[in-house]
Amino acid sequence: MKLQTLMRAMLTASAVGLALPAFADTELKIYISSQHQPQVWRKVLDQYETKTPGTKVTIETGGNTSEAQAQYLNTIMSAKDASLDVLILDVIRPAQFATAGWTTAFTDKDMSVYLPAYAEANTVDGKVVALPAFADSMFLYYRKDLLDKYGVTPPKTWAELKAAAKKITEGEGNPDLQGLSFQGKAIEGAVCTFLLPYWSQGKTLVSNGKLDFDREAAEKSLALWKSFVDEGISKKNIAEVATDDTRKEFQAGNVVFAVNWSYAWAQSQGQESAVAGKVGVERLPAVEGGEQATCLGGWEFGVSAYSKSQEEAKKLVEYLSSKDVSKFMAINGSLLPTYADLYNDADVTKAAPWFADARQVVETAKPRPVTPRYNEVSEVIRTTVNAVLAGVTTPEDGAAQIESRLRRILR
Amino acid sequence: MAVLSISATDSAKDSERPSPVWTRWLDLSDRAMAVLLLLPAAVLLALIIVYPIGRLVYTSFFNLSLTSGLPAEFVGLENYRIMLDDPVFWETTWNTVLITLITVPGALLLGLGLALLANLPFAMQWPVRLSLLIPWALPLSFAGLIFAWFFHYEYGVVNDVLNRLGFEGIIWFNSPNWAFAAICLTIIWKTSSFMALIILAGLQTIPRSLYEAADVDGAGRLRQFFEITLPLLKPAIVVALIFRTITALQTFDIPYMMTGGGPGSSTATLAMYIHQNTVSFLDLGYGSALAVVMFILSMGVTAIYLRIIRTKEA
Repeated sequence: MKLQTLMRAMLTASAVGLALPAFADTELKIYISSQHQPQVWRKVLDQYETKTPGTKVTIETGGNTSEAQAQYLNTIMSAKDASLDVLILDVIRPAQFATAGWTTAFTDKDMSVYLPAYAEANTVDGKVVALPAFADSMFLYYRKDLLDKYGVTPPKTWAELKAAAKKITEGEGNPDLQGLSFQGKAIEGAVCTFLLPYWSQGKTLVSNGKLDFDREAAEKSLALWKSFVDEGISKKNIAEVATDDTRKEFQAGNVVFAVNWSYAWAQSQGQESAVAGKVGVERLPAVEGGEQATCLGGWEFGVSAYSKSQEEAKKLVEYLSSKDVSKFMAINGSLLPTYADLYNDADVTKAAPWFADARQVVETAKPRPVTPRYNEVSEVIRTTVNAVLAGVTTPEDGAAQIESRLRRILR
Repeated sequence: MAVLSISATDSAKDSERPSPVWTRWLDLSDRAMAVLLLLPAAVLLALIIVYPIGRLVYTSFFNLSLTSGLPAEFVGLENYRIMLDDPVFWETTWNTVLITLITVPGALLLGLGLALLANLPFAMQWPVRLSLLIPWALPLSFAGLIFAWFFHYEYGVVNDVLNRLGFEGIIWFNSPNWAFAAICLTIIWKTSSFMALIILAGLQTIPRSLYEAADVDGAGRLRQFFEITLPLLKPAIVVALIFRTITALQTFDIPYMMTGGGPGSSTATLAMYIHQNTVSFLDLGYGSALAVVMFILSMGVTAIYLRIIRTKEA
C-alpha cells in the first residue's frame, strides 16, 4: 500500500513536472536553410524572445541546396513529424506543401502589403498558405575594378558579356581567372540557368497549367550556355558548379562575371572577401534582340500542419514576415525586402547601394512554373542542363528530351 | 531452462495432482510447444519483413502521390506499364546491372589477393588485418564523399598524381564513362575488404598438412593454389558473392554522394531512382512498383546462387 502511494505520488509529480514548463514556455523550432544566414536570423529570434516572454525559439538547419532541404522536409512531413513548427520554403514549394496538406493557412492576412509576386506565390486557391521571408532574384555580379581597367561597360546582352569576358581574361593572363561563373550542377539553380535565356526570347514554359514549350528557344538557351564552356569563358567543369561555388570563387577574386542571387552580396563585402569594394551588380543580360529576364526567387515561412503550437507559430511567422524584420535582414543579411518601399530606405541603401535598382528587377522577375509536381519539372530541366554542359547530350537532343518528359508530367 | 525441465518431469511423475495454473502451458505437446516458442520470432519477422513487403506490393497497384492531394486510386498494373515506357527506369536498371557485373568480380579478385597477403606467415599480422577492416567499417556515404574529393577535377589527389606523372587531369564527373569508372573503383575499394575478411576466414580452415603433403609430392606454389586453396575456398567465396551481389544490386550511397547520378542520369542506379520517386517526387505508387522490381531482381539472383550451392553439395 505504501509502495503504491509512493508510486502514485511520483507519477503525479513527474506529470506535473513535465506539464508545468509547457504552460510557462512555448518552445518553437524553426527550420532555416543553412545558406540563408541562420546566424542573422538568430539575432531576430533573440529579439522576438525578449519581446515575447516565455517563448523560446530554436533553429534547425540542414542541407546546403534547395533540393537537399526539400528532401529532408519531405521525409519529416510525410512522417507527420511534429518536431518542426515553422519551415522556410523555397518560393517554388508553398503550392506543393499546401496541396499535400503539410502547412496550415493564415486567415485574415492582408497580402497587399507585400510585393505582388510574393502575395501571389503564397496564395493557393485563395488561401494564404505561407508568408514571405525575403525576396530574391538572380543578378549579374561583376568586377567593377576589372571592367573599369579595360574600359568595358556592364554588358546588356550575353554576346557583349562574352566579348567583355574574353577581353578581360586575355588581358589579365591569369589562368585561374574565369570569365563567367554560373550554375551547371544538377541543382535547382540550373533550372534558372536554363530559363534565363529561354525567357529572354519572350517564351513561356507553362501557361494556364499547360505546357507551352518552344523547342527552338530551348535549344538556343542550352547552346548559349554550352558555348561559354566551349569557348573557355567558363571553366571546363562548370557541370560541377553549384550556387555557393559560384559565390566562393567570385569572392576569392577568380571570376569576372557571375550569375547569382542577392545573398552573395553581403559575403562579397565581408572581411573574408578578396573583392570587397570592387563588386558591381546589374540586371542579367538578354539574348540578342530579346528582353532582359531573370528568375524570381525568395523564401517563405510556412507553419507545419503537425505543429502542436499553431497559434504561437503563426504569431512568430507574422513577426518574421514583418517590415521591421525585412529591413533588418536587408541590412544585416543582404536579403532583399518583400516590402516595396524598403528598397529606397536610406538605411538599406547605405548597406547595399544596388538595392535601389533591385526593386524593378524583382518586380519584373519571372516565376518558375507553379505546379504541385514542380519537383519533377525541376529534375527534368536540371539534369538535362547538366548533361548538355558536361557534353553528354547535344543542345538539340536536350531540348527534345525536356519537351517530351515535361509533356508527360504536365499532361 | 533448468526450471523448465524440472517442472516438466515433476508434472510427468505425479500426474494425478493438478499442476498449478502458471505451469499448465508446459504440459503441451512437443509440436504445440515448438509453435509457441517460435511464435515470437515469427511475429517479429512478420512485422518487420512480411508486412512491409506486402504493403509495398499492395501500394504498387495504386496511384498514390502525396503531391496530388488526391486519395489513393487503384490502377492495377498501370505503374508497371508506365515503367516499361520509362527510359530512366531502363537506364538506371542497366547502370545497376553494370555496376554489379564490374564491381562484384573486381572486389572478389582484389579481396582474394588481400586475403592471401594477410594470411602469409609474418610476424606483425594484426596491423595488416586491422587495416583490412577499416574500409569495411567506414560508412558508405563517407567513402563516397572522400572519393568524390579524391576524384575532384581541381582539388583531387588523383588528378594531382596524374599531373605529376605528366598526364592531363581528367574531369571525372563530367563524362559518363569516367564518372562510372570512378564509382566502380570506389565500390571495389570499399567492398573488397568484406570479401577479404570472409575469404581469410575460409583460408584459415584449410589444414596446413595438405600443403605439406603437396610439398612432398613436389607440387609448385601455383599448382597448390589451384588444386588446394581455390577448391577449398569455394564455399566461402560463394557466401561472399551472395552478400556482395545483393548489396551491389542495391547500390545507392556511393554514386549518390559522388555524382548524384550525373552527368544527366548516366550514373544513377535503380535504388537512386526509387529514392527520387518516393522522397523527392512523393510518388509512392510508382516508387513502390520500382521497389518491387528491385526486390524480384534480388530474389532472383539469390535463388540462382542457392541453386549453385546446392548442385555443388550434391
